[in-house]
Amino acid sequence: MEEAGSALDPTPLEGFKDFYQYASTTRVIVGRGLLESTGFEFHKEGARRVLLVTDQVIRGTGLVEKVEAGITGGGLELAGIFDEVPQDSSTSVCDRCAEAARESGADSFLALGGGSVMDTAKVADAVFAHGGTAREQEGFFLMPRDDDGMGRPLDIAPLACIPTTAGTGSEVSMAAVIKEPEERIKLEIADFPLFPRLAILDPETTRTLPAAVAAATGMDAMTHAVEGYVSQDWSPHQDARSLHALRMIRDNLERAVQAGEGEEEARGNMLIGANLAITLALGSVHAMSHPVGAHFGVPHGVANAIHLPHVIRFNAAGGATIAERYRDIGELFDLETGGPGVEAAEALATHITGLVERLGLPTRLSQAGVPESGIPALVEGAMGDGTTLLNPREVGEEDYAELYRRAL
Amino acid sequence: LAYFKDADEVYAYIGRLFEELAVDDELAPKFKKANTIVQYQYREPESQITVKLVEGEDGQVDCGATTLEPEVVMTMDADTAHRFWLGKVNVTVALTRGQIKTKGPVAKILKLVPLVRPVFPRYRGILEEAGRKDLLEAA
Repeated sequence: MEEAGSALDPTPLEGFKDFYQYASTTRVIVGRGLLESTGFEFHKEGARRVLLVTDQVIRGTGLVEKVEAGITGGGLELAGIFDEVPQDSSTSVCDRCAEAARESGADSFLALGGGSVMDTAKVADAVFAHGGTAREQEGFFLMPRDDDGMGRPLDIAPLACIPTTAGTGSEVSMAAVIKEPEERIKLEIADFPLFPRLAILDPETTRTLPAAVAAATGMDAMTHAVEGYVSQDWSPHQDARSLHALRMIRDNLERAVQAGEGEEEARGNMLIGANLAITLALGSVHAMSHPVGAHFGVPHGVANAIHLPHVIRFNAAGGATIAERYRDIGELFDLETGGPGVEAAEALATHITGLVERLGLPTRLSQAGVPESGIPALVEGAMGDGTTLLNPREVGEEDYAELYRRAL
Repeated sequence: LAYFKDADEVYAYIGRLFEELAVDDELAPKFKKANTIVQYQYREPESQITVKLVEGEDGQVDCGATTLEPEVVMTMDADTAHRFWLGKVNVTVALTRGQIKTKGPVAKILKLVPLVRPVFPRYRGILEEAGRKDLLEAA
């Protein structure tokens, strides 16, 4: 943990790092027609009696019945279905989900849905396994461990995820974000046991996804990849994932949203792209988007799409090594990336705004219902978000206020 | 070997730093924006400092026993705290590695991290004034 100079000085985005860690422990299976194998595959991860966690929208698509058949067809029991997860899940929903698991005698969780459903299942599983409430799970690397809290983290019940959006990447991450309505904050929870044991990526699950949701979640994935590549918590491991995720998003996002020829392939590839993009090494785009979601209900992917170009410009002005990272990304998109780094970053920011417009998403916070009077509360939220510390350029209150004004 | 020989040394240097910050005309109002009570629980040596940072109220620093009820608890080795105030600990790395553990609404504290830069020389000054070159060099 020795660093040269002040520990608040930005970490160089090149060279050999003083420290980083990388883990990806989820078994991922990818392909067509995999839903019928759900039970067969989840059995290998220790599941016997499964609580299926989903939402009302997914209920209406016919996917629940297919997965249910897949569970029982593989010799597992369906303990129950918890379908009360809202678009933006909360601590109370997680507590109810954990209680449903206890009452039904479940020994495992299967999440079928988007980020809200998967994060609900993760937090509910932690409450189910270790007790307490969802509110008490907040924190990074704070789950119970043996040897007086210094040893191996204690397992939670087997968890499998079947994402129905291509964006959050929660199916292979050790993090969950859940709203705490009373405090108007989003709780961030992360630790190794939250890695699902199994993720099933099947384009069948995104077949009925509305275009606007496909666009917003796709931009969420793109933001993960971009922020992961420039974060202070960057790593060569994540670089490889981020850059290939960006190639897949470049080639598939618009096709997946527009539907038409090759659509199934594009949707399948977007599931993989989102899966590769996910990382905890994020930055100020996420720091800004979390309070926008908590205060004004703006969908996470929409908020990220709006903030991303502004943060790129701000960060690129903070130093050549940051701007050079954006140049790398611009090259992937065949942009004109000659000249100074800030110009390459400007080209990338402009390209992203154009992409967001083509996808039919709002490009301004005011279009998404955020008033100027909300900025002070948003600034406070962003300053207190853990991802602020991972942004490649130091960000202060005035910086965030200006960024929100530009995005308005 | 731990940098501090006992809890009194922790209070004499880190505790004093908090006490000075709590009445500093420039820094105290900024830190009080956290609007919370933080307890730092240190290991090796076992010690505890509780700091009240509430807007519009006087700051309060309790070294050892306290009647304050903390909203946020941060646990770490006293060595880590010492090195943090010298500007030698990357908070995100320390959180990732479990060298600093937090409980409670951590967001209230995270937003203070960028504000601590001007505090580093002050801590160094406290140690120099006390003639603790050994602590300055040990880290």
